[in-house]
Amino acid sequence: MFDKLIDNSMAKSPWIFHINAGSCNGCDIELVSVLTPRYDAERLGFRLTGTPRQADIVVVSGPITLQARDRLVRTLAQVPEPRVVVSLGSCPRSGNVFKGSYAIDGPLDKYTHVDVSVGGCTPKPEAIVAALAQAAEILREKRKEMHK
Amino acid sequence: MTDLLFNLIYVLLFPGLLFCVVMGVLLAGLDRIWVARMQRRVGPPLLQGWYDFLKCCGKETIIPRHGKKAIYYGAPLLGFVALITISLFLPVVNGQAAFSGTADLVVILYLLTLVSVCMIVGASATGSPFAGVGLSREMVAMISYELPFVLVILTVSKAVLAAGDGASYTFSLQAIADYQAANGPLITHWALIPAAIAMLFVIPCEVGMHPFDVSEAETEICEGTLAEYSGPPLALYRLTHMVKMFIMTALFCVLFLGGISTGFVVLDTLILIVFCLVLTFLTMSLPHAVCARFKTEQVFQFYWTVVAGLAAVSLILVWLGF
Repeated sequence: MFDKLIDNSMAKSPWIFHINAGSCNGCDIELVSVLTPRYDAERLGFRLTGTPRQADIVVVSGPITLQARDRLVRTLAQVPEPRVVVSLGSCPRSGNVFKGSYAIDGPLDKYTHVDVSVGGCTPKPEAIVAALAQAAEILREKRKEMHK
Repeated sequence: MTDLLFNLIYVLLFPGLLFCVVMGVLLAGLDRIWVARMQRRVGPPLLQGWYDFLKCCGKETIIPRHGKKAIYYGAPLLGFVALITISLFLPVVNGQAAFSGTADLVVILYLLTLVSVCMIVGASATGSPFAGVGLSREMVAMISYELPFVLVILTVSKAVLAAGDGASYTFSLQAIADYQAANGPLITHWALIPAAIAMLFVIPCEVGMHPFDVSEAETEICEGTLAEYSGPPLALYRLTHMVKMFIMTALFCVLFLGGISTGFVVLDTLILIVFCLVLTFLTMSLPHAVCARFKTEQVFQFYWTVVAGLAAVSLILVWLGF
């Protein structure tokens, strides 16, 4: 019974940690706009945390530059289970316009399993809210898997 | 046997563990909704704090390699227990406290300090540099609000003693509650109004609410004291934070708004809850929605000049016999 309560709370209080892996700041601004009064992701329980230790959903933006690569891997390893990784925008998916550059080492799924991927340069805030809501559901499923 | 049973009810149900947790979750949820409404948002559901607590319970706990395991787990627990203990000294059942002593106000002062100290000790046990910055800020915040808080307590106890009323000891919350039951709430006494305002300022800093949350600045120092906490210990810290909102507002009610009694426990509790809601709105939601976070030295300066000044004015007025 207690497990079921926790499972349901998982989907109701997902905390987001945002990693900028060399993003142009476009996606970052759109992610912040999701928390503003217009889109208000807090009504779904979302909260932006400052530390990976408290994160449930890790949002990665940017085309994984060489400088950001090691930090990204280390930060992802610090997030406690269950966790969900969301790739934000076209850059972590494919490299976008930076594809082929000597300075990037993407895509994101080389380093971690990506659960939800939002396309677009930049994605619309509506799409980001939808992706985060989907990520929260995946979080619940992952937690169910854990105590099965 | 019945004594033991009553004590168990006091500690576990009312006004102990269960009542405190329910009130804490209620106040925290309403606070978040009010802040959201003031920013023209919908806001999270009322039980969001409870969901956060349960969610954190279900997460993995990662103890840093340089962390001390016993302190990492022990500090949040000790802090939480100390906080719940405070509720047993508040005279909320028919104007009687579950446990009372000659100087329970001093005990409350120490227990509140213990809650903050547990936070500091727990943070230092993680060995994180962000937690190091956070705990040094927490210490500054503690020094900031302790002085006005102590001055307020001195003022209240002096006012009760100065009025005579046969009170042989003054640091007893029970004596203060009895005095107010006989003579009306202390806030109606004009010389105590500056002290009441000072106490209103002490509440958000003691709780660590937004404009004064220098130690948990999530955007600057990665949640500061909580930087390395995850899983159930983090859940306890979140719960402690929520319960502290109730304890501090209830303490204000006991110190300044006491003595309003109908004779029924349920009605009295409802009155207390309404006061707590109003105080939460005034002291926590409103500054949260209006102010940006203060710098550490601004908090210190503000509390040692304006707030301590207000409390000192009251203390001098009471001392002179007004």
